[in-house]
Amino acid sequence: MAESWGMVIDLDKCTGCQACVVACQSENNIPINDEGLFNQRRAIEWIRIERYWEGEFPDVKARFIPILCQHCADAPCEPVCPVFATYHNNEGLNVQVYNRCIGTRFCANGCPYHVRFFNFWEPEWPDSLKNQLNPDVTVRSRGIMEKCTFCVQRIRRTGRKAAQAGIDKSDAELERGLNPACVNACPTQTLEFGDMIDVLTAVKEGTRLPDEPKSKAGAKVKKELEEDGGRGYRLREQLGTNPSVVYLRKVDEHRKEVITHG
Amino acid sequence: MIPGDFQYKKPPAKQMLLMAIMGILGLGGFIVTALVLVFVMTAWFGQPVIFGNDDGPDQPIAYPHTIHAGTQPGQLGLDCTFCHRNVTKGAAATIPAVGLCLTCHKTVGDGNDEIEKLRAIAEAGDAIPWVRVHRVPDHVHFVHEAHISFFSERDGILPSAVCSTCHGDVASMTQVSQVKPLKMSDCVDCHRDNGAPTDCTTCHY
Repeated sequence: MAESWGMVIDLDKCTGCQACVVACQSENNIPINDEGLFNQRRAIEWIRIERYWEGEFPDVKARFIPILCQHCADAPCEPVCPVFATYHNNEGLNVQVYNRCIGTRFCANGCPYHVRFFNFWEPEWPDSLKNQLNPDVTVRSRGIMEKCTFCVQRIRRTGRKAAQAGIDKSDAELERGLNPACVNACPTQTLEFGDMIDVLTAVKEGTRLPDEPKSKAGAKVKKELEEDGGRGYRLREQLGTNPSVVYLRKVDEHRKEVITHG
Repeated sequence: MIPGDFQYKKPPAKQMLLMAIMGILGLGGFIVTALVLVFVMTAWFGQPVIFGNDDGPDQPIAYPHTIHAGTQPGQLGLDCTFCHRNVTKGAAATIPAVGLCLTCHKTVGDGNDEIEKLRAIAEAGDAIPWVRVHRVPDHVHFVHEAHISFFSERDGILPSAVCSTCHGDVASMTQVSQVKPLKMSDCVDCHRDNGAPTDCTTCHY
C-alpha cells in the first residue's frame, strides 16, 4: 500500500448544486442536520459547499467552494490527539479511529479548515430511513469526532475486488467503485479522485513533477501547476499543512472584462 | 463531678480539622480502590481464557451441526458453504433461508419435533429467529470473503477448511458456541503472523 490518495477540485466547473453533500450524507451515515443544529453550529457535513458573494450589485457573482477534509500530509489535527485516534496512514489518509476517540475535541480546534465534527448527541434517524444506513460504515455514537475518510470503505472494497481479479485497484475498470461518493455524484466532474503519491510528494519536497503521473487526477494537477497561469492552488497553503486536495481557480472571462473597464 | 471520672476533652480545632480531612481522604481512597478493583476484576474474569466460553445460546430450533456437517458414518458431511452460501462472496457468511432447509426437510424427518417446528415456521412464511453466536462490535468490519480466499489460496485447501481457524470444529458441536474470544488481539496477532495489513483502517472505518 504505497498510495497517497488525493483529490482535484475544479472550481470552474462547480455549480454549487450540493449533490456531493447529499451523496456524502447518505454514504457515510451522517445524521440529519436540521435548523436547530445549524443554529447551534453543530451540524455535521463531511463535505460542504461554501458560498461567497463577490462584487457589488448589479455585478454580483456567487462563488462556490466544496470543502472537505484536506487529508494534510502535515496535519495539525494529528499531533494534538492524546490517544492517537487520528493519525496519517501509509495511504496518505488522515484516519479517524472511532473506537480510540475519547472526544477531547483538540483536533477540531487544531484544524484550520473546520472539517472535523463532534457528535454532541446520539445520532437518530426516523424509522423510515433506518434501512438506508450503509452497513459498511460505522454509526458514530455520541462523544466522538468524525470527518471525511475519502470513503475508505469504498477503497477497501475496491482493494478486495482488485485482489480477486488480480489487477491494481487504481485500474480504470474499478474507478467508479474506488471514487468517493461525492466524486461519483458530481454532475459536472468538478471533483476527481486518484492516487497522487508522485505528484504530491514532488510538490511537498519542491522537486520536479513526475513526467507521467500515475492517475488522471495527478495528470490534471501536474498540468495546472506547471503551465503558465496554471490554476492549481491548495487551501491555506501558507500554514504548511501540505493538503492532499488541490483546487483549481475559477476562470471568469466576464469578470476580467468588467475589471479592465472599471 | 467525681474526681478521676473520665471526661471527654474536646480536642483543639486544628486537630478536629485534621481528623475530618483524614476521614474524608480515607473514605475517598476506599471508594477509589473499590472502583479500581471492580474494573480489574470484571476485565480479568470477563476474559474467556479463565473460565472458558459458555455453551452458547439456546436456539429456537435445536439444529445439530453434527448430523449435517459431521464426517462420521451416519453424518451427512455437508460443506459449510452449502448453507452459508455468501461466505466466499461477501462480508457476511449469512444464514440460509428457510427454503433451503425445506429442500430436504419437506420429506425428510417426519415425526421429529424440531423439524415440525421448522415446517410450522416455513408454513407461516416467517424467518427462523436464530440467536446470533458470533458478533464483533459495530466499529469492526470483518469480511469473510477476504479471509477465506486468502487462506484457501495460500494453503491450497477448501474454503470450508478455513472456517475452523476462528469458529472451531463446528461440525462436532450439537449447540454452537464461540471458541475464541474474538478480541482485537486475536485479529491483530493473526494479521501479524500472516503478513496482513495492521493499519487501523483495515477493519475500523
